[in-house]
Amino acid sequence: MTLPVARRFPFRTPSLVTAGILAAALWGYVHLELRLGDLVPGSGGVTVAAEFFSRAVSPALVSEADFVPSGTPPLLLNAANAALLTVGFAAAAMGLAIPMGFVLGFFASTAWWEEDPAGARSRTLRTLRRMAGPVVFGSTRVLLAVLRSVHELLWAVLFLVALGLSNAAAVLAIALPFSGVLGKLFADLIDEAPRSGAHALRAAGATNSQVYLFGLLPLALPDIIAYMFYRFECALRSSAILGFFGYPTLGLYIRQSFSSTNYGEVWTYLYALVLLVAVFDVWSFGVRRRILA
Amino acid sequence: MSLRIEPGEAVGLVGPSGAGKTTLLRLLNGSQRVTSGRVWVNGSALDSLSRTELRRVRAGIGFIHQDLCLIPNIRVAQNVVAGQLGQMSLARSIREMVYPSRRLVERVYALLERVGIGEKIFERTDRLSGGQMQRVAVARALFQEPTALLADEPVSSVDPARARDTVDLLVRISREDRLTLCVSLHSLELARAYLPRLIGIRDGRVAFDRASSEIHDDEFAALYDLNSGTPDA
Repeated sequence: MTLPVARRFPFRTPSLVTAGILAAALWGYVHLELRLGDLVPGSGGVTVAAEFFSRAVSPALVSEADFVPSGTPPLLLNAANAALLTVGFAAAAMGLAIPMGFVLGFFASTAWWEEDPAGARSRTLRTLRRMAGPVVFGSTRVLLAVLRSVHELLWAVLFLVALGLSNAAAVLAIALPFSGVLGKLFADLIDEAPRSGAHALRAAGATNSQVYLFGLLPLALPDIIAYMFYRFECALRSSAILGFFGYPTLGLYIRQSFSSTNYGEVWTYLYALVLLVAVFDVWSFGVRRRILA
Repeated sequence: MSLRIEPGEAVGLVGPSGAGKTTLLRLLNGSQRVTSGRVWVNGSALDSLSRTELRRVRAGIGFIHQDLCLIPNIRVAQNVVAGQLGQMSLARSIREMVYPSRRLVERVYALLERVGIGEKIFERTDRLSGGQMQRVAVARALFQEPTALLADEPVSSVDPARARDTVDLLVRISREDRLTLCVSLHSLELARAYLPRLIGIRDGRVAFDRASSEIHDDEFAALYDLNSGTPDA
């Protein structure tokens, strides 16, 4: 029997994409000459790895260094302090990135200007208005892409060269790419939100900014909040890693202890980071449940 | 199509799906532009207005949408206040949507009492039943303090008893407040029972426009007749 409608389900695009990804992966394996054998460590490596991982169950509680300069705070106090500063850098960066993300996300979303048929008296003014939306949208999208295509560590290197070791530069290094990611995501969430409420507000005479704030934002807000918490967690990890450049976060001490082979201390700092992320996760879960219920 | 609706009049739009009832209502509040011809509202032609002027006209017309178009995850009071955004500055609207003043809350409560759901004022909107949400949509439109109410199939999603209640509410309130009312309805019985004047629309044209008591059953049958007129499916 022949059907008078389309012959099959439109599987062509998904299967092409899947085949493309598989081909790229295969090319990667062959071109990079990946071998499982390379993952077996040499005898020296095994010793170091065993030494390092054996300390996982016995992290250091006091300093393991042979020589401790006077005035050095005790290890646990130092770990707590570094954890606190890790939070400090992350929070300062998010404090910048969230408002920047909101502003950029506003200009990078289309939902609030796209469908307003209301016109001005003159034809020229109408045409200009019609063009303004796409121009602002396009240039904001490009800016967002630039901000987030440069990784925070790369920004940090740039700032380190240009400004030296300044805390403000570290905060900015995290804040810039994060505002790019947040802005893109906020814009996408706003544009994906159902628009019927927004239509109703516009029909009742609301302006574009009111339509955005009260017709679209409330619908996207649960996802926006969930994603902000997730990005905060990412900021905590980035802030810790920035320590590798010399900022006084957990990464600094992880690097120092590692290079002086005080593996017990490394674990102490690692556990501090894990604890930090875990505590944050529990807290954010509670907050989200209360807001979204 | 040529139509005239007087201030304070209550008019029903009837006709088959796709006849152009929604389009007509959207033209009336400037949500859609005319490709030819003109729409006059309270003495001004909509296509000649600036954006601000058009916003002012829209703010004076309450519109109740077929699928209600409420914001589900905010409080009932906030949905009602949203009706008046067109008359507020941005700063004031932020304040009143986040921390509504006591005076505003009292006004919202009085209005919700009038439509019968005063106790739901601080409830999350999506926790309400279909009939209750419909009343929120009516309250939002009324909160604009409009001179006219447009309603697009306002009862298509509720059972017949609720539908009767809602149409009754719309007609009663517009009479009490001297609002112009224009409702599109699927149900002929409802339209005939509650609205003094009916406009039959088919294929974008006015099929009849008379007092509902003068319209003959044959005319209704012809309006919905699937076999005459242009087939469109």
